[in-house]
Amino acid sequence: MKTWLFPIVQTAVVVILLMSYYAASWFGEQYILRAEPFDPFDPFYGEYVLLQYPDLKSNSITDDSSVYFTLKEADDGYAVIDRIENEPFFGAIEGSIYGGSVTAPQLEQFYVEQGQGPLLESARDLQVTIDVSSWGTIRPINLQERSE
Amino acid sequence: MNTDQKLRQWQEAGLMDSETAERILAFEKRQPTPRKLPLLLIVGLIFFSLAVFSFIAANWQAIPDLAKVLLMLGLMWLFYSIAHFSQKKAVGHPLLFRVIGLAMFGATLLTAAQTFHFPLANSLLPWAMFLASLAHYFYWRNLIYSVIAFLFGGAVLISFLPDIGWTEWGIFVIITAAWFYFSKSFAPVAFSWILLFASGFMLWGLVDYDSSLWPIWTLFALVLLLLIVPENKQRTIRPLYLIAAGMLLVVYLAVRGQTFISIIDESHMAEAIALAFAGIGIFALSFFKFRSITWVAVPGAIGLLLYEETAIGLAVVAELAGLAYLILAQRQNEPLGLGFVYFIIVQFVIYIIYAWERLDMSLFFLIGALLLFLLSAMAWWINRRKEGAKL
Repeated sequence: MKTWLFPIVQTAVVVILLMSYYAASWFGEQYILRAEPFDPFDPFYGEYVLLQYPDLKSNSITDDSSVYFTLKEADDGYAVIDRIENEPFFGAIEGSIYGGSVTAPQLEQFYVEQGQGPLLESARDLQVTIDVSSWGTIRPINLQERSE
Repeated sequence: MNTDQKLRQWQEAGLMDSETAERILAFEKRQPTPRKLPLLLIVGLIFFSLAVFSFIAANWQAIPDLAKVLLMLGLMWLFYSIAHFSQKKAVGHPLLFRVIGLAMFGATLLTAAQTFHFPLANSLLPWAMFLASLAHYFYWRNLIYSVIAFLFGGAVLISFLPDIGWTEWGIFVIITAAWFYFSKSFAPVAFSWILLFASGFMLWGLVDYDSSLWPIWTLFALVLLLLIVPENKQRTIRPLYLIAAGMLLVVYLAVRGQTFISIIDESHMAEAIALAFAGIGIFALSFFKFRSITWVAVPGAIGLLLYEETAIGLAVVAELAGLAYLILAQRQNEPLGLGFVYFIIVQFVIYIIYAWERLDMSLFFLIGALLLFLLSAMAWWINRRKEGAKL
């Protein structure tokens, strides 16, 4: 009977993984980020779009290092940086800063349906919808063309 | 031709009497008939699963996110169940089904990562697979699980880069050391040892102090492992230490002699001296406790020898160590194969370092030397065979 423990524990791992992910939606806030594709390519893992965020800029921290930040919704409905620090604080998203632009590992790329990649890359103006949990994890929900 | 007909033929030819034939027939009837799947059923099953898979693949985008992950999870359960029943009924290969089940676990995590946009830099997948395959190994003690654990252990190490933390590294080292300690056969012991050695390379990312000697320190630290393992295990892993020490000598020699990378400067003097003393310590320890790996102490000299720009010192040490090893092993009637390979590699590296600029001229001599080497190796082989020595 002990052998059944293997698939059971492995299932539990997957369930915890999914729960941690859905938790960002259950106990978090939703933001919409203005996004632009850059240096797109199509590696082994499937089709995805690499993204950068014109609104996520920092003037206070400029050296290329790890940063911790939170988001807030600006007047135009798109998210901007609320607070940014060099040291971790509760609820912060862990990210990095390069040349003044802020990003996080979960935000850098977005898997899309096969065939959608080139379309989204040619459309320069994109928007990403994300859920951010109160403890700082991100769940990317959607990537689409921006209508302004 | 079936047994019945054969027996009748033998009976008619007067080869056996009817009583024996009947006894053979009765015995054959008692044997269980081998259960075979009809060929058509196998072909049909293959086509059916192909159809199912292509249907899923064609509609992959339309399947809801959670259903994709559950589908893979379902496949994992399917294969573990097949494995369970195949073991119970002694049909098929439970090991194969279980390995596929484990692979499906990896596929589930990969699907989850892709569907829910986890970052690729995440080390969760290799960690989960590393731990799962180790658990499989400790339960079933099969070589295949240790191979899988080794591959994913390597993947965990790679996923540490570029940002690596002490906690994650420490946990990895503790788990791998436990794997090393509780394994008995050669393959898992060797695999865990290699992972431990490789995790020493991560010190480059962990420690702020910029040292080029971390691999040697790691090897010395691993010598201490021998203090806690039983005698027979020491014998099993002895070649690993010698191979690692030999490789370190050759690599440092090649880097120092052939490249212009400055890997050491005045600021590292204290470390080089400390390494030399550590080398002496390792020499003393291994000389009294495990004499057969005393050679491991030789790389202790590398730190100081790196200061010498022409790499002559390193070359002399590498050469002398190889020669001395061969002579001693020959006198003690120990296997010479590894020593020979090391010796040849050292010759090559030295040759390339000091003859690189005149390689066009020396190529002729190189080929001549190779031929000579080959001939002498053949002569040595034939000689040993004549003496009736076992290799």
